[in-house]
Amino acid sequence: MGGAAVLALAVVAALRRRVRATAPGRRFFRHPTAGPGVFVLTFFVTIAFAAPVVAPYPPYYQIDIEHPNHPPSAQFLLGTDPLSRDVWSRVVYGARVSLGIGAVAMLVAASVGTAVGAVAGYFRRWVDTTLMRLVDVGLAMPRIFVLLMAVALWEHIALWVLVLLIGLTGWFGTSRLVRAEVLSLREREFVAAARALGAGAGRVIFRHVLPNAAAPIIVSAALGIGHMMLLEAGLSFLGMGVPSPTPSWGNMIADGWHKMAVAWWSATFPGLAISLVVMALNAVGDALRDALDPRREAV
Amino acid sequence: MTEPLLRVRDLKTYFVTEQGSGTARAVDGVSFEVQPGETLGIVGESGCGKTVTSLSILRLIPEPPGHIRPGSFIEFEGRNLLTLEPRDLRAIRGNQIAMIFQEPMTSLNPVFTVGDQIAEAAIVHQRLSHRAARTRAIEMLRLVGIPDPEERVDHYPHQMSGGMRQRVMIAMALVCHPKLLIADEPTTALDVTIQAQILELLDRLQAELGMAVILITHDLGVVAGSADRVVVMYAGQVVEQAPTAALFARPLHPYTEGLLASVPRLDAPPAREHGRLHGIPGQVPAATAWPEGCRFHPRCPYAWDRCRAEAPPLLDAGGGAEPGTHTVRCWLLTDPRRRTPHP
Repeated sequence: MGGAAVLALAVVAALRRRVRATAPGRRFFRHPTAGPGVFVLTFFVTIAFAAPVVAPYPPYYQIDIEHPNHPPSAQFLLGTDPLSRDVWSRVVYGARVSLGIGAVAMLVAASVGTAVGAVAGYFRRWVDTTLMRLVDVGLAMPRIFVLLMAVALWEHIALWVLVLLIGLTGWFGTSRLVRAEVLSLREREFVAAARALGAGAGRVIFRHVLPNAAAPIIVSAALGIGHMMLLEAGLSFLGMGVPSPTPSWGNMIADGWHKMAVAWWSATFPGLAISLVVMALNAVGDALRDALDPRREAV
Repeated sequence: MTEPLLRVRDLKTYFVTEQGSGTARAVDGVSFEVQPGETLGIVGESGCGKTVTSLSILRLIPEPPGHIRPGSFIEFEGRNLLTLEPRDLRAIRGNQIAMIFQEPMTSLNPVFTVGDQIAEAAIVHQRLSHRAARTRAIEMLRLVGIPDPEERVDHYPHQMSGGMRQRVMIAMALVCHPKLLIADEPTTALDVTIQAQILELLDRLQAELGMAVILITHDLGVVAGSADRVVVMYAGQVVEQAPTAALFARPLHPYTEGLLASVPRLDAPPAREHGRLHGIPGQVPAATAWPEGCRFHPRCPYAWDRCRAEAPPLLDAGGGAEPGTHTVRCWLLTDPRRRTPHP
C-alpha cells in the first residue's frame, strides 16, 4: 500500500511538473481538488493493477473462520469481515472489479451516446426525431429496474453482460448533451469552411464537430464513471450484481453491513473507497473541463 | 473568347420560410461566366444574394430550408455541379474550387492548430502523409506572408490576429492550387490597412498560381482595384455586367449609378446635397416579396410606368462596346431620353 501511495504521489508531482509549462495544465491544477483527485485515482488504479502484489492475502481466503471480525491491526490492515476474509485484500481486488466495470460501462455508454447524439444533431430531420424519441423512451425507464429485471430474467448473468447492460442503459444523457453541442456547432462557419474544403460528413463530424464537443463529453464521462460505479455497487449490494465470492465494493458492503455494530470496518472501508473514487472522478472531471477548453485562454 | 472556367446559368436558389410567409427567392435567375485566370467582382448591398450565389456554386446551401431550383445550371470545366454525386462534388470542393469566408474569426476551427487546418485539404485530396502535409502547410504560410512559419504552424487560431487568420484562411483555400477561388467579402472584417495587404496578397497569388477569382464584396473600391469584370447584383438578379473600366466610366443601371455616387471621394467633394454623403434611398426589399416589374423601381429616381409593370431583361449597352460584354437590366436603354439629371 505504501508503494502505491508513493507511486501515486510521484505521478501527481511528475504530472504537475510536466504540464505546468502549458496553459491547460495550469488551468487543470488551479483546481484545489484536482491534485488530490489525481492522487486518489492513481492510487486505486495502481492497487487494482498490482493487486496480487499489494494484497497480503488472496481475496477469498478465510483466515480464521473461528474468529471472524478481527478489528484493524498491523496484521489485518482494515480488519477482517464476518467470513474472516482480510478486508484490505478484498478492497484491493474489489478495485479491479468496481473500477473496471465503471470504466468499461462508461466507455460503452460514451461511445454509443456520442455516436447517436452526433448523428442526430448533424443530420437532423427524421433521423434526429427518431433517435431523440428513442432517447426519451430510454430516459423514461427507471434504470435500476430495467437492470434488476434483466438480472432476474437471466440467472447467473455473466459479468461482461452486466457491464454491457449498465453501459447500454447509461448513454441517453450523453447523447442529448452531444446532440445539443452538435446542433450548435454544425452551424458554425468553420464547419461550412470544412465542407468547402471537400470534407465528407464523417470527416466533418469526427474532426471538426466532435473535438469541439470534447470538453462536455469528457466531463460527462468522468462524472458518468462514478455513476456507473454507484449503480454497480447498488446492484451488488442488492445481491443482483457481481456474485458474492468475487469481491466488488458493493457486495463487500452487503457482506458487512448487518455486522456494523460489532465490525464497522468490513462495510465502512469499501464504502469509503467508493466515496473517495467517485469524489475524485468528479474533481478530475471538473478540472478537465476547465483545462480542455482552449477558448478559455489563461490570462 | 476562350471556353469559360465556370458558367452559371439561370441560377435560382430559394428558401422556404417556416412561418409560411412564402418563399424567399434569394437568388432568382442569375447568369454569369468566369474565364480562366480572371477576377470577377460581384457587388451589391447586403441581401442582394451575393453570398447565396457563391454558396450555391459549391452547393453549400443548407437544405432544407434552401434549395436550388431545377433548371438552374452551374457548369465548371464542362461538368454540371448541380447534378454531381456528393463524392465527385467533394473531390471538386477545396481542390478545384476553394472558398474564403467572410469571418476569419469564426471560420477557423478553434481546437486545431492552423497547420493542421491548412494541411487538411492536402490530406483529403492529395492523400499526403502527415509529415508531407505539415511541410506543405509551412510552405503555404510562407507563401501568404506569415513570419516564422515553422513556429506559427503549431499555433491555434486564437493566438493570431484577424489579418493573420485571414491569411491562414487563404493558405487553407490555396493549398491544392485550385483553379477557382471564391472570396466572399474577404476583407470586410478587417482594418483598412490590413484590407489593402490582403487584397495585394490575393492579387499576387492569383498572378503566381494563375487561378480565377470570384471576389464578392459590397465595396466598390475593392472591385476597382482588383477585378477585371464586375457583376452588379440587386434583389437576387444581375442588373449590370461590364468590364471594370467600362462600368466605372459609364455606369448604366441606376443602381450602379447610385452605388458609385455613394462612394465617398477625397478628390471631388460632393457638390450635391450640400456636402453630405450620397445614399440610395430605401432598402433592399424582402426576398419573399420582390416588387413587381423592375425590382429596383421603388428606389429608382427615373422609374416610370413601364418599370412598374414590366420586368426588364438584360439589354446590351451598345455605345461601342462589343455585344455581350456590357449588359444592363434597365428599360432606360430603350428610352435614353428619360435619363434626366436626378430630380
